[in-house]
Amino acid sequence: MSTPTHDPHSGDRPDRGTDTATPGTDPTNPSPASAKGTADTAETNPAAVDMDEPPAGGSFARYFLRKLGGAATSMILVIVLGFFAFRMLPGDPVLKIAKERPMSPAQIAELRSQYGLDKPVIVQFWDYLVGIVTGDLGESYVYRKSVSSLIGEYLGPTLLLTGTAAVIAIALGLWLGQLSAWRRNSLFDKLASSTSLIFWSVPTFWLGLILLMIFGGTLQWLPTGGMITPGLDPWSPAGIIDVITHLILPVVSLVAVVYAQFLMIMRASLLEEMSEDYLTTARAKGLTEDEVRRRHAVPNALLPTVTVVFLHIGGLVAGAVTVEAVFSWPGLGKLTFEAIRGPDLPLLQGTFVVFSAIIIVMNLAADIVYRFLDPRVRRA
Amino acid sequence: MSANTPAVDGAKLVRERRLNNAKKNWALFRSDAPALIGAVVLLFFIVIAIAAPLIAPASMLDVTQQLDVPRYAPPSLDHPLGTDDLGREMWVRILWGARVSILVGVAATVMSMLIGTIMGLAAGHFSGLFGGFIMRIVDFFIVLPSLLLAIVLSSVLERGVFTIVVAIGLTSWASTARIVRSQTLSVESRLYIERARILGAGHSHILFRHLLPAVMPLVLANTTLTVGGAIIAESTLSFLGLGDTSKESWGTILKNSMDVSAATSGYWWYVLTPGVAILLVVLAFTMVGRAFEAIINPALRSR
Amino acid sequence: MTDLHFENVSITYRSSSDRGDVVAVKDVSLDLPAGATLGIAGESGSGKSTLIMSALRLLPKSARLDGRVLLGGQDIRELSFGQIRAVRWAQASIVFQGALHSLNPVREVGSQIIEALEHHSKGTWTTPQKRRDRMFELLAEVNIEAAKSTAYPHELSGGQKQRIMIAMALACEPDIIIADEPTTALDVIVQKQILSGLARLVAERGISLLMISHDLAVLSAVCANLAIMRHGRLVEYGPSDDVCLSPQEDYTQQLAGAFPQIGDPESRLNPRTRRPAEVARAEPFTKTDEVVLEAKDLSVSFDTRRGRERAVRGVDLQLKKAEILAVVGQSGSGKTTLARSLLGLQEVEAGSQLFFAGKPLPRKAKELRAFRRQVQMILQDPAGSLNPKRSVYEAVVEGLKVQGIKDREYERVVGALAAAELTPAEDYLESIPQELSGGQRQRVVIAGALALDPQVLIADEPVASLDASVRGEILSLFLALKKNLGMSALIITHDLGLAWNIADTVAVMKRGEIVEYGEVEKVLSDPQHEYTQELLAAVPRLGSQSLVRNE
Repeated sequence: MSTPTHDPHSGDRPDRGTDTATPGTDPTNPSPASAKGTADTAETNPAAVDMDEPPAGGSFARYFLRKLGGAATSMILVIVLGFFAFRMLPGDPVLKIAKERPMSPAQIAELRSQYGLDKPVIVQFWDYLVGIVTGDLGESYVYRKSVSSLIGEYLGPTLLLTGTAAVIAIALGLWLGQLSAWRRNSLFDKLASSTSLIFWSVPTFWLGLILLMIFGGTLQWLPTGGMITPGLDPWSPAGIIDVITHLILPVVSLVAVVYAQFLMIMRASLLEEMSEDYLTTARAKGLTEDEVRRRHAVPNALLPTVTVVFLHIGGLVAGAVTVEAVFSWPGLGKLTFEAIRGPDLPLLQGTFVVFSAIIIVMNLAADIVYRFLDPRVRRA
Repeated sequence: MSANTPAVDGAKLVRERRLNNAKKNWALFRSDAPALIGAVVLLFFIVIAIAAPLIAPASMLDVTQQLDVPRYAPPSLDHPLGTDDLGREMWVRILWGARVSILVGVAATVMSMLIGTIMGLAAGHFSGLFGGFIMRIVDFFIVLPSLLLAIVLSSVLERGVFTIVVAIGLTSWASTARIVRSQTLSVESRLYIERARILGAGHSHILFRHLLPAVMPLVLANTTLTVGGAIIAESTLSFLGLGDTSKESWGTILKNSMDVSAATSGYWWYVLTPGVAILLVVLAFTMVGRAFEAIINPALRSR
Repeated sequence: MTDLHFENVSITYRSSSDRGDVVAVKDVSLDLPAGATLGIAGESGSGKSTLIMSALRLLPKSARLDGRVLLGGQDIRELSFGQIRAVRWAQASIVFQGALHSLNPVREVGSQIIEALEHHSKGTWTTPQKRRDRMFELLAEVNIEAAKSTAYPHELSGGQKQRIMIAMALACEPDIIIADEPTTALDVIVQKQILSGLARLVAERGISLLMISHDLAVLSAVCANLAIMRHGRLVEYGPSDDVCLSPQEDYTQQLAGAFPQIGDPESRLNPRTRRPAEVARAEPFTKTDEVVLEAKDLSVSFDTRRGRERAVRGVDLQLKKAEILAVVGQSGSGKTTLARSLLGLQEVEAGSQLFFAGKPLPRKAKELRAFRRQVQMILQDPAGSLNPKRSVYEAVVEGLKVQGIKDREYERVVGALAAAELTPAEDYLESIPQELSGGQRQRVVIAGALALDPQVLIADEPVASLDASVRGEILSLFLALKKNLGMSALIITHDLGLAWNIADTVAVMKRGEIVEYGEVEKVLSDPQHEYTQELLAAVPRLGSQSLVRNE
């Protein structure tokens, strides 16, 4: 990237928001090239010895508050969307339910008042907001239970499943990705890249079905569904092993699809890093190729990767919906699946809001981690 | 351009250069074996999708006419891909499913590309309050997985192919917007944009004469890559029971197989065939898309 | 002590593309005896970087080396990878362009120096404590405060980064230091500090120095011997003063001539070039007293992370018809902001007054557009100023299109190209920028501005990104435009020599203020302000190893 040596001020033109003009500080824009953009503007800033030093970084509190503000805005949007999508779109949700299961007009009216649909929209919205703040997400039509208690019950297994899958997928993807890039065009690279392309091209749930068929059906090595054999105490040693055997297939299906993406991202960003001048410096200093990779190339390549990886975590969480359905894993995904079948709109709305909240919180965490990883962002 | 003779000659030169470029790109594409195979596979599926009514009349899907066909027949000479729980031939279902799956994939992608390009350009070009507002919206859609939003949308709207297209199209544009935005930002910082401003150009000149042409190739390559994602999304939504049950699609077939527990009952062909069809088509789109991407941007050739 | 010999070195890059193999270096022999200083000058693509990278076997795998590179009598191709790693940095180290990306952006600079010591402890820097002490010692040598050891590269200025690179190169007490464009992208004053520092450190320790640069003057200021490379071949090789002051080869003369000697009457208003622009008018225009563009008490402020900063402070400036005014300053002096303000591209502070042809600068978008027909700007980098996808015709016609000028479009374009001396214009119309050389691209950009028939051209470092041999061509074009068309030009530059070559008047800017303003001869031969004097003193002169001997 050849940035012309402007006066620093033309790079810092006030008519562009600094937020948008410095993509390197924007975690949603992880291309390494743009990360360098930030460094560039700093570098075309020489002149007399001390005055020219780029200014010191902003405070962590400011950065945190800005990111928190962003997350809060997203959360508000989710909440608003959660309300209006379910009540304002064409088609009265109750009539929709009525269409799919026979109901008398009296039942419909009862349902309407139960959902508060006979009240003015603004009142409904207020009730909904109060409900969210107090943890009341309405009552499930199918389960006849409060949505929040249902979600509380099913949240744990989902976190266990997606958490395990995320850790494995990240570790595997990043590790294979950097090996692949470093041994570019080797047999290993070709194998790793083509396998990931294939995994990338299948629906998660189909992979689950195939695994279920082979290991659960034909070979009968692993259980075909659920989280634990009924009657076992999950905290006993036998119970823990039982949970792990139940966990294997769903985790593998989730990991297979997601690790492939991580691999490709890591590979691409390390490849981009590999032509950088500072690697020549490192080689000239007498480092071995291995040291050059471990100490210099990978830490730099990780930065853009981390942000993209965290963005894909959302996809992994969403993938849990179908995988849990395939393996009857008693988590939020299965709950969502049941809610769709119902259709159980209050439950669906609840799982949507909670899923979104989980993803938003994880992205906030990623932003904070990123600031510690990348010294350049500390200036923002 | 005025009607001067030399200028006409110039136009010819331009045409020649474009032709040469096209030739060079075609040569590049041809040298990429996976992309060629991908293109052939795509062509095959598109042809059978269009010709489905000719190859296998719709009556072959009518359950009432399959009473003498064995149910769950494994693949054999009589039943090349086996039959399903109602005695329908799998190959006929795959054939008809290709129509909906590919149509939804392409239509949703076109929609998503349109929204993504507009939002990405706007987010990259405009600054101030308006730009910030667009940016916020893009960020929101980037963070939230499109599948989740698509589930919500398709469960509140009327079931149907159109709903699926809208649900996928409306929710999957964020990644395009992200790519377009970063490309726009990088083009925006080029001197020739500044030069256009100096010459007196306004927003529309810069947007349509410089930025749009600069992001278009990227968008086109991305389109091919996105179709695959949209086909997977369609199958996922259908699998969750949000599709149009009256129409064959690969996702619907998989949902039916799940409903009869085909996976655990040993009816492997019921599960395998639609999945392999998805895999082939998506992989083909991906291969072709990657080749396009490599042609546009040699630096990406490694990805 | 170690010496370095290149014996009939040829380096070829194998390439799978249709261009086939690329010969980067062809049959070059050079000697660097222990304790000597050698400079290699060449423009981009001359193969000089490839050559020096071969000294430590740092070339990519696709490069094939023929001939011998002897480091301390050892053929470096015969060393095992382990041996070459031991040689790297311990016997010969490299000062890369620190201003670019030669430092790892995510590691503290101190630890990057220590890393070199860890790999070559030489029995001296055996413990972490000793290495830390050594690192601080090195920082002190290059005048960097110890606290900066925990800084990241992006927290340092270009000059500071370059010092860190030098400290790192000195770390393991090498016998040879190879400096790769060590001062490119630095301002003259910083450049002088870096070069004289480097020269002193090298001389004190008896280290041999091999330096490459595109800038003949920089090399001759430091090195005793000079080699000139072009297209991979050695053109001329000999003692610095001989090569610079009485060059034998055509190409060397051209290179040496491109550097204006300020005060030399021969180059005054006469940039040296083999392709001078034609002056067609029998009575060329000369500077008049009619003021075209004027700024009174112009101030511009920005919101930066450091708070509100004034980039331009109370500037008064007048540009007269057929005048060439050079605004000289280092980066950060606010000169580009000044130019943007004069074009109405920049919000100015209240109280600032800008006039064009006696009338205040318009503020409304539509009137501003009309105003821009009269005042055009040429940006620094011609490669970046042209949309790579659009032909020369489209680039030149762009201004006419946005200005809504519809009549005689084709004639205007051809006329503008001819005025920019890109002839025959018809041959270039459908070329795309990549098919043109740097100088040709700059002509296209200038033609794009000329197509609008402006009265004033503002040019921001119009030759900074061009090869030295093209510099004169473009400068002579500016002079010809003034003489033929009576055009006024305001040229922003860091290069006092440019002012000497073409300008009538010069304004020296420092930190947003004009510190000295007047006729070129007067200001440059008898500078009043301390800063002008400092700038003048920092300009490297051809020959005489000025920086080494003065220290």
